[in-house]
Amino acid sequence: MWRDASTWAAEAAAVFAKEWRCEFRTLYALNTLALFAFTTLVVVSFSLGPLGVERSAGSAVLPVLLWIILLFSVAAGLPRTFVQEEESQTAMALRLSATPSALFCGKLLYNLTLVLALEVLVTPAYLIMTSLRVASPGLLVAVLAAGGFGLATGSTLVAAIIAQARSKGTLFSVLSFPIFLPLLILAVELTRGAVFGDPGGVAVPVLLLYDASLTVAGLMLFPLVWNP
Amino acid sequence: MLTPPRGRGSRRPPLAGRHRKDGSPPTLQGGAAGGHCGYISPVLQLRFENVRRRFGRLSVLQGVTGGVGPGELLAVTGPNGSGKSTLLRCLSGLLAPDGGTIEYRENGHPLDAAARRRRVGVVAPDLAFYGEMTVGENLEFFARLRRMPPDRGLAVLDRLQLPLDRMASALSSGMRQRLRWGWALLHSPRLLLLDEPFQNFDAAGERIARELLAEHLAGGGAAVVANPSTLELDDVAGRLDLGR
Repeated sequence: MWRDASTWAAEAAAVFAKEWRCEFRTLYALNTLALFAFTTLVVVSFSLGPLGVERSAGSAVLPVLLWIILLFSVAAGLPRTFVQEEESQTAMALRLSATPSALFCGKLLYNLTLVLALEVLVTPAYLIMTSLRVASPGLLVAVLAAGGFGLATGSTLVAAIIAQARSKGTLFSVLSFPIFLPLLILAVELTRGAVFGDPGGVAVPVLLLYDASLTVAGLMLFPLVWNP
Repeated sequence: MLTPPRGRGSRRPPLAGRHRKDGSPPTLQGGAAGGHCGYISPVLQLRFENVRRRFGRLSVLQGVTGGVGPGELLAVTGPNGSGKSTLLRCLSGLLAPDGGTIEYRENGHPLDAAARRRRVGVVAPDLAFYGEMTVGENLEFFARLRRMPPDRGLAVLDRLQLPLDRMASALSSGMRQRLRWGWALLHSPRLLLLDEPFQNFDAAGERIARELLAEHLAGGGAAVVANPSTLELDDVAGRLDLGR
């Protein structure tokens, strides 16, 4: 059993390593995510930054905008995960070689590291450029980690579904809406709680529970989506 | 030309290939039809019966029947669009047939579509590799996915004279075909599904590929070869003509 688990993990690790090797050589997702995040960051900081709105109003609005920046950056870069495989016709070799669950986890890990890297770059810059003060930094880090995991899992699953469709962009938006809506509502509420130092009625475990549900659903659905 | 497997004086009757279409007679050429329904190979056996597949309103496969056993080669021919590639995709487990049965056994154990996908060796024109990685990196990646040591299959790669340090995107079409062969044989599959296996090869490449196929059959493996025209192949157990 342990031998099976270790070979499964090695398979997932191979997919993860392959994704990053290709990414470092093309810089497609990194460039897309970084450019989109930078552009929106500058726009938001100019219009709603220290000079744009009152501090009290900003504290209420800025957490929402942070998650909008993260969501749209993710939507611009992450769906390529599986679309690229179909467009370059490498999906056939993958289908004939990889265990679906290991493939899903390898891709998910890659997307997760991308999202976390994006958050590490965007969030401090966002806080500085908007002069947003965070009363509970620990809570903010927890929310970003859990929310980022949800974004990565949801994007990976939806990317697999849309990869074989014709109008990929439209389908991604349609399918993402019900998946990301509860996640973003929770994440925004918790981020607002971190800013004001009062998480209110929503707790991080609720977000983690949603992440876990998404992951289980992804692992169960992926083999059906990926294979005929 | 393929060299017939040696040391098998009394060959088993080869499994048949035939195409049922609107009650038309089977188009089997060569090999023997029928007479082995109860035969179960100790090593491997592929049998498919009445396989049907549609794409929307277009019926591509309309009840195809055939099979191969150890050391046998089934040649599938037919014009473009006759369903050769679709049949091979169904056999490999990449496509689910709309009807009919596909049964593949190794060592007497039946393998479902998911297991079949990972066991068979496939060469197909639309099989591509990662252009951002070298040939060696590509093969190492797929060896890891197949849970094999990364140096497995190096002898085959050496024979195919693949430039391991060249980026896959920089390969010529002939070299890409060699890479497909190297990839298909990487895990020493018992069943090879070859769709236009000699396309784009130069004379040397085709000779190497034919030798590899002959050795595969001599070692007790089986192969299904699809090509628009009749290939000059020795030791063909059965021919399946999908011509419309």
